[in-house]
Amino acid sequence: MRNLIAKLALAAAVLGGGIGAAAAETANIWVRADGSNFMPRIVDAYNKAHTNQVKLDIIPNAEIIPKYGASAAGGTAPDALSLDLIYTPSFAAAGQLEDITDWAKSLPYFSSLSPAHVKTGTYKDHIYGLPFSADASVLIWNKKLFKQAGLDPEKGPANWAEIATDAEKVNALGGNIKGFYFSGNCGGCNIFTFTPLIWASGGDILSEDGSKATLDSPQLRGAIDLYRSMVKKDLVPAGAQTDTGANFFAAFAAGNIGISPSGAFAIGALNTQYPDVDYGVTFLPGKDSGWSSFAGGDNFVVTKGTTKLPVVKEFLDFAYSLEGQTILAKYGSLPVRGDIAKEALKDLDPRYQIAAEAMAKGKTPYSVVFNDLINSANGPWTQMINEVFFGDDVDGAIANAQETMQSIIDQAPQK
Amino acid sequence: MSSITTAATPAPPRARRVASRQQWIGLLYVAPAVALVVVFFLIPLGMTAWMSLHNWPLMGEHSYIGLGNYVAILRDTRFWNALRFTAYYTVIVTIAIFVVAFPLALFVERPRPLTNLYRTMFFMPAVVGFASASLLWSWLLNVDSGLFSPAAYDLGLIDRKFNLLATFQPAFWSIIAMVVWKVAGFTMIILMAGLQSIPQDLQEAAVIDGAGPFARFRAITLPLMRRTLALALILSVAGSILAFDQFYIILRGGPRNQTLTAVYWIFNQSFVSFKLGYGAALSMVLLVILVALSLVQLWLLRKPEGLD
Repeated sequence: MRNLIAKLALAAAVLGGGIGAAAAETANIWVRADGSNFMPRIVDAYNKAHTNQVKLDIIPNAEIIPKYGASAAGGTAPDALSLDLIYTPSFAAAGQLEDITDWAKSLPYFSSLSPAHVKTGTYKDHIYGLPFSADASVLIWNKKLFKQAGLDPEKGPANWAEIATDAEKVNALGGNIKGFYFSGNCGGCNIFTFTPLIWASGGDILSEDGSKATLDSPQLRGAIDLYRSMVKKDLVPAGAQTDTGANFFAAFAAGNIGISPSGAFAIGALNTQYPDVDYGVTFLPGKDSGWSSFAGGDNFVVTKGTTKLPVVKEFLDFAYSLEGQTILAKYGSLPVRGDIAKEALKDLDPRYQIAAEAMAKGKTPYSVVFNDLINSANGPWTQMINEVFFGDDVDGAIANAQETMQSIIDQAPQK
Repeated sequence: MSSITTAATPAPPRARRVASRQQWIGLLYVAPAVALVVVFFLIPLGMTAWMSLHNWPLMGEHSYIGLGNYVAILRDTRFWNALRFTAYYTVIVTIAIFVVAFPLALFVERPRPLTNLYRTMFFMPAVVGFASASLLWSWLLNVDSGLFSPAAYDLGLIDRKFNLLATFQPAFWSIIAMVVWKVAGFTMIILMAGLQSIPQDLQEAAVIDGAGPFARFRAITLPLMRRTLALALILSVAGSILAFDQFYIILRGGPRNQTLTAVYWIFNQSFVSFKLGYGAALSMVLLVILVALSLVQLWLLRKPEGLD
């Protein structure tokens, strides 16, 4: 008898599941405000072409993590979210995400997905996040100012010495015009645009697995000297010292800056909001040659235990199609599928090709405490960059940051 | 006095029943207020205390660790540094507020032409929220597009734009100036009310006895304003110890983390590092400190014996 009931229950469950899958379902998805340009477009396109639907919420950048944590605790978390990729390891470590290893590996194009995203999406050999949107750091220069300063407007700087001399020549134009800009009090901006200078020269700030801070290197010191010398020669506006990122893009967009490290996002933003600025895009160079880039953007992660997994997979599959990748590219994200990136970008501004190439070779540091180490406005990285660019005690600042970063890494919960 | 005697004498049974019913009705009247205090103060306070005994990450399971968080606080040098900076800031800003507010109060206390205009003018910044005021000043202090530095540069007072927020001293004193601008008007109103409650005849009697203005201020005004001063002082000290908005919005705790206040550190631990349990423990420590400080101030400014 009991057996029979169990069988009936099982049958009912199977039937119920079957019916549920047939009817249209709606999955809730969150994205941070950085994605507010492309995300609604791709969700609209998906909803039009499918019976299953996606409901999108856009959350302010600074609030998405606490809000997600609170709603996960209250059982009202979205089914999936597009998450700043550097947070994937810590979310996975907290046991908050669904393991999607098998599904991910079954995708025919899995091997051509952005390697930097997949690396941060992997925790203890399991995949918890897949690439969704991408942004790579590049160097941009103002062609009009280059021309006025007697430089070749079509040739961006290709090593550190050229950055310094070009910036100095532009700066010599005088008035409001300055040679170089960076946000000197913004950890997130500088991990994005300053560390590639170090990587391109063969150094690094964290060990491969994120277990050791490796700040004290000749490459880091060299890159610091480059920035310090430009600050000393007054090539950088005074506001850079206290810029916590608010002017990261706006300073160059105003048209008075010769050279600025920036990101692929700037291409779309300049083209649409500042069509008058004539600019070039090149790689962030190494000391003498070579280049590197920070591969940033969002990983797509699934909340553990969600019942809408099929919808989420269907949506992600759509985003990876040529149509999806083209929509993303058109509205401000780089394609994340290497094999069709060229095709998705072929009708767009050719400067995107540089950024896409930078993305493909881009690097992302791996750490479960990335926020505490790097992004936090009061973390050791932010404090160090401000001290070494503008302060008097470079050695002390590096030593202090090295020690604090290592102690944060060592105190991180080991799971 | 008479009401106390009535209550003390044994009442007849019926009267007692009425009294007890009246007590119940009284309880009913205060019930909404009590409910508010319970729901929005006592329960959250209890939850904070409970959370402070746990390792409570934003995501994932929390676990009971007893006094572990409090032991960690003892070794948390950055919290003690933040607390030291908060104390330094509290002392400086409280003195600065009183130095500005007291003369203002003396100035606007007596009716004279345009008094109401002055009162309104001085009080105006107090109605602006701290966050909005911080945003306003953050623009005023901006070196490239703000007011102070560009104006001084354009007027030829300085030959290079000076970034006020880049080093500790100018940044710290800029914040002090902003807080004084914002709070002094409010303190002025409190002090003015205290000044106006001093009977005029006392002052006149003192004048007849030949007391000079300074002697009158020291012997009459100050002692009679004890309670007003206590109120203004406690408000200022409690507000300064909980300072956060201005340092977060204008300075981000900088330059180089030198202006991290205690509340800022709690915020960072809770909502940047997501250690909610540890943040709760820090909050409990700060609460104890604040209550202790307020008790000390009340005791220092208590009503002297024999004075009504």
